[in-house]
Amino acid sequence: MPMRFPGVGPPRAALLLRSEHLVLLLSAAAALAFWAAVPGFASGRNAANVLQNTLPLLALAIGQSFVLIGGGIDLSVTASIALASVVGASIMTGDGGPLAGHPMAVPAAVAAMLGVGGAMGGINGLSATRLGMPPFMVTLATLTAGGGLAVWYTKSQKIYELPDAFVGVSYGSVLGVPPAAVLVAALAVVAHVALSRTLFGRWLYASGMNPRAAEVSGVPVGRVTAASYVVSGLCAAIGAILYTSRLETGSPEIAPRILLDVIAACVIGGTSLFGGRGGVRRTAYGVLFIAVIDNGLNLMNLSNFAIMIVKGGVILLAALLDSARARAAGRA
Amino acid sequence: MRSRAGIALALAALPLASCGGGGDAPGGPGPKTVGVAFETLQTEYWVVSFESIKGELEGRGFTVLEAIADGDANRQFEQVQGFIARGVDGIIVAPKDAKTVIPMIRAANRAGIPMVLYNRPPADSSAEAVTIVADNYAIARETVSHMARLAAEAGGAHKAMILIGDLADQNAVDRRRGFDDAIEEHGGGIEVVAEIPTEWNQEKALAGVTNALQADPGIDFIFTSSDFLFPSLVSALRSAGKYEKVGEPGHVILGGFDGDATAYRMLRDGYLDADGVQDLGFESEQTVRALADLIAGEEVPPVIEDEGFVIHQGNLDEMAPRMWGAGVGGD
Repeated sequence: MPMRFPGVGPPRAALLLRSEHLVLLLSAAAALAFWAAVPGFASGRNAANVLQNTLPLLALAIGQSFVLIGGGIDLSVTASIALASVVGASIMTGDGGPLAGHPMAVPAAVAAMLGVGGAMGGINGLSATRLGMPPFMVTLATLTAGGGLAVWYTKSQKIYELPDAFVGVSYGSVLGVPPAAVLVAALAVVAHVALSRTLFGRWLYASGMNPRAAEVSGVPVGRVTAASYVVSGLCAAIGAILYTSRLETGSPEIAPRILLDVIAACVIGGTSLFGGRGGVRRTAYGVLFIAVIDNGLNLMNLSNFAIMIVKGGVILLAALLDSARARAAGRA
Repeated sequence: MRSRAGIALALAALPLASCGGGGDAPGGPGPKTVGVAFETLQTEYWVVSFESIKGELEGRGFTVLEAIADGDANRQFEQVQGFIARGVDGIIVAPKDAKTVIPMIRAANRAGIPMVLYNRPPADSSAEAVTIVADNYAIARETVSHMARLAAEAGGAHKAMILIGDLADQNAVDRRRGFDDAIEEHGGGIEVVAEIPTEWNQEKALAGVTNALQADPGIDFIFTSSDFLFPSLVSALRSAGKYEKVGEPGHVILGGFDGDATAYRMLRDGYLDADGVQDLGFESEQTVRALADLIAGEEVPPVIEDEGFVIHQGNLDEMAPRMWGAGVGGD
């Protein structure tokens, strides 16, 4: 028996399905449900906590969105994070780092982290475009090699004694807001403008939608696609900066299982795995949705297994919704 | 669609606007809530500990919130922050390592929520928490001393191997120190020819042991820093044709640490010489007791040690009832 809501006919439902704000509405619905079920969920403190938890995930998901919109996929995110984390930490650590105590230690370490992320992205991008290798295989290979390199570089040791200025990225305050939040907000704005207001953004959508047609129209598909991997690598480095400062530790296994959340956030937000569709705002909604679900489930009196099953089910439902949206948009 | 987004945002903000304060204020009326955050449920030891702590808490009338971080310190950090935001009355953490737990303790300290660390001590810092931990050094040293006595009784020179855990975990460091000191005290006759860094990972253990046995087939004395690596160790020994019972020709002197069901089965079947046992019942009971005392505002010493014991072929029947792995239905 189909459900009918008064005043909401099929056209409106289709409109709602197609709306890029759908996932925000779903996040709000989930938040309301948790508000009713979980004491403390709606506290200002918990809301701030959820938003803070989304910061590294949002940085990573923005980078992944660029690659997905361009029709690729980047599985090497966790290796880029690990490698950037250990390289940066080893430069600035007070425990024998070459720049220990030097005023330039933190800027140099941050530059090195961004360099590592950019280099990983460059390798992925060039392999996928110049050598014509499938992105899935390329980034799987760099995931394995990069992870191995991070372990070899540190001999599996974690790196401590990081400077206060670096730890302050997560624990400091700029007008009452942690610098990490300012950093990610700036990243989101720049990424949004790049995708929606620049020639590069238009080229990237065109390359992801139909690379051949784009090539014929004069779009430098190879260069644009390669650049999207570099963006993803740089975003992974920003994620590494946030994770490393938050835990005050450089580690070759700093966020070993974040990849699924990154890709899930993008797809739930409405970025297509087939290229050509997506955006920063959608991804931000997806990240918010994942963070609300994660936080709410953790605060419910549920067993860990139940939490895992529910979270998996919710991601599956969101994916189903995504295909329904694609159909509603006339793009099955 | 802009209006719809506005409505959605307003809906999302509603709950926040309506109760700007915390959830259940700590120390408020009603049943008290405790968050239990474990780094992993990868091995029997953690599973049994987790269930045991939950049972103790529920027995004392606490509401329990669970969180498992799957080996990811960042996830654990977020889970602990979630507990704090929820306004729990106390937090129990089995941390991934000594250092990454420090920011979590600090956050709990700032919120005035007592925290007890289970099984792994934190690094030195100003952060305040109570730790319940086995005397890893002493238990490992006693276990390896027992193995060394067996080696001396067998006579001749021996070649030893140790499987080392994750050296970011203080327990792994202490177990290795216990091994080294016991070998040194023994005064010759045992030469350590292989140290396998496993990072608490079964695949790495299997590869490392296999390579070491190929490089030096004379290895006849092996200590693993955790019983959960026994399946890897036994598999490598079988492949090398070196898995024999105590007293049979070619027997490799074996020792482990934890007291899990696999170790109990190997002891009972006559393959394992000695095992350092953590008294899991004592540890989980003390963990919950310490937290309850802290919540009640009482003083608790910063470290509570479990002295554990060594179980071996000579005291198997007597000590088995105290070995937690013997009660886990190891077939």
